[in-house]
Amino acid sequence: MKKLLCGVCAGVIALTLAQAGNAAELPGKFDGVTIDAKLIGGQQYEKLYERIGEWEKLTGAKVNILSKKNHFELDKEIKSDIATGSISWCVGSNHSSFAPQYPDIYTDLTPLVPAEELAAFVPNLIKASTLDGKLVMLPRAQFDVSALYYQKSLYQDEEKKTAFKAKYGYDLTPPDTWAQVTDQAEFFAAPPNFYGTQFAGKEEAINGRFYEMLVAEGGEYIDGEGKPSFNSEAGVRALDWFVKLYKDKVVPAGTTNYLWDDLGQGFASGSVALNLDWPGWATFFNDPKSSKIAGNVGVKVQPAGSSGKRTGWSGFHGFSVTESCANKEAAASLVWWLTNEDSQKLESAAGPLPSRTAVWEYNIEAAKGDAYKTEVLNAFQEASKNAFPVPPLAEWIEISNAVYPELQAAILGDKTSKEALDAAATKATEILEDAGKL
Amino acid sequence: MKSVKLSTPALLLLPAFIVLAAVIIVPLVFSLYSSFTPFRLTKPDSLWVFIGFRNYVAVLSNWEFWIAFGRTVLLLTIALNAEMFLGLGLAMLVEKATRGQRILRTMMMFPMMFSPVLVGFQFKFLFNDNVGFVNNALQSLGLTDRAIPWLIDVNLAMVSIIIAEIWSSTSVFAILILAGLMAMPKDPIEAANVDGCTPWQTFRYVIWPYITPFALIAMTIRSLDVARAYDIVKIMTDGGPAKRTELLWTLIGRTAYGDARMGMANAMAYVAILLSILFTVYFFRKLAAARQQIGAEW
Repeated sequence: MKKLLCGVCAGVIALTLAQAGNAAELPGKFDGVTIDAKLIGGQQYEKLYERIGEWEKLTGAKVNILSKKNHFELDKEIKSDIATGSISWCVGSNHSSFAPQYPDIYTDLTPLVPAEELAAFVPNLIKASTLDGKLVMLPRAQFDVSALYYQKSLYQDEEKKTAFKAKYGYDLTPPDTWAQVTDQAEFFAAPPNFYGTQFAGKEEAINGRFYEMLVAEGGEYIDGEGKPSFNSEAGVRALDWFVKLYKDKVVPAGTTNYLWDDLGQGFASGSVALNLDWPGWATFFNDPKSSKIAGNVGVKVQPAGSSGKRTGWSGFHGFSVTESCANKEAAASLVWWLTNEDSQKLESAAGPLPSRTAVWEYNIEAAKGDAYKTEVLNAFQEASKNAFPVPPLAEWIEISNAVYPELQAAILGDKTSKEALDAAATKATEILEDAGKL
Repeated sequence: MKSVKLSTPALLLLPAFIVLAAVIIVPLVFSLYSSFTPFRLTKPDSLWVFIGFRNYVAVLSNWEFWIAFGRTVLLLTIALNAEMFLGLGLAMLVEKATRGQRILRTMMMFPMMFSPVLVGFQFKFLFNDNVGFVNNALQSLGLTDRAIPWLIDVNLAMVSIIIAEIWSSTSVFAILILAGLMAMPKDPIEAANVDGCTPWQTFRYVIWPYITPFALIAMTIRSLDVARAYDIVKIMTDGGPAKRTELLWTLIGRTAYGDARMGMANAMAYVAILLSILFTVYFFRKLAAARQQIGAEW
């Protein structure tokens, strides 16, 4: 035992020394340097920016925040900057779904950040941040993958358990496959007051949900030759899942007009049984001030499709350094600072998922004694193992814009799933042809 | 070398010309030029590739564009007529009020003070199928026991948008028509009463010709507004679901920024402007005719 303790002590000392060693290199000294930045704005992101002042003190540099907007607005601004050739700023917020759209403006961070620092990130995320061999961003503690939230009381009701078993022939427990989700959602639904589940119904949100369901059904969105291939049998099966639930009135009638906020509010209102949703909602759902189901929320790893693979569409926020930045070392130091261990501990304390392995472990340790928090962290840690990003295409958002109205047309019954997917695949192919990719 | 000397009037007008050129002509010419290129925001070099009328051919043969075009005309027609009738009724009622007319006039302008984005959010909530006020009211009154998908149904979604448009802009008509009613001389009405006209005859043959120019000015202003309808629709449905409420400017906005295809979006916009020009010409002709009828000089 003593030996073990000594080992732990030695480990801790080594770790502290290692950190001190790194701190000497990073953040570095940049007296008189001013870094212009365009950052994602919003309540949940602000806490991290308070640490910028500390970085300024340590390095002697100044940070000048040019704009703070949500990602869609920031995306428009960045596109306008590219169009007018005015990328005069150094650090920008980035997102895995948006990053492939700006292939040339961000620099490779590999030579600017020590290798051992890069190794401290979850390897999959560094891989997903690397486009055409360039590490275009460092992921911050805003990693997103969905897990299944459910109302616990529904699974403790003896009457429901018996009725369910009689009807479906298996025990009523939180679902592990999407087929079980369908059964249970249909079983719980009592519209217009209570719904079995719900899904985001427009824009990239529905396209993303369809994408992960397609993967879970064993399909591919883009095949090996780079051609859209989601109008396959797996694609039809995936889309049919949404169509069936909508047709059977298991989901709210307005679901094709819903985005994340509508879904979060809907589940918190207590009128939905099962809800595949992001980690950022975990605290909100269990807070009596914001949620009617506080204390009654369970979280489980996302269900699997018929191929045995689980859904796991993921995305994450990060920070990038522009190619045109005059002082890339200083900019990279700021990006490192905003994504380092302390920053991630601070940011993930409020609920978002970290992108550094050590911070995961720290959070799980810190949550001990809080059953809900532990359940959430365990579920999302499991969920993140199944995570996969969107195909790294500059045209992803454009393809999403072309595909989602077709998905909606199938869900609303204007077209069959096959017709809708064929039409969508034709449009997506045209987009890729226009871009010279096919 | 003899320097070119501008005359004093030309010199005095020069600043105005420069400002006009900078804020109107240059952007217009630039956007017109870019509509002949495959310009993508993310690929600045594409601005210098000239492709002739390719974008225009693509727009004109794009069925989705024409459906959005037709839907915009439909929205224009229904919204303008409804706003006109409601505005006329409102103006006539307010004009009759003998006390508190000022307060009524101010109250009438309230909807105009709201930003269209706010109106969009407000009606999006009112018409929400699950937690919205309209469905809850209908269910509580026992008029229905199901959740009516106001913003989803193929017809109801457009109706919901039209209601939001009408709510926010009927007062434009009401205020302009009220101005007409207040400026109108009272003797023709008294003469009509003495001659034994019925109220309807007085309205149709005496009042209406006087206020027609005001109504047409309101029509022109609003037709330009509605033809550019974007904010309210963007918030309420964003042209969806399944393009059921897609209007010209939601389509153009998405093409320009979402898809970053600015060249194509500009080509769409130039075709869309035709709609505004057509309506403006039509209303101005009507306006000239109406003014002639009441003997005013054009």
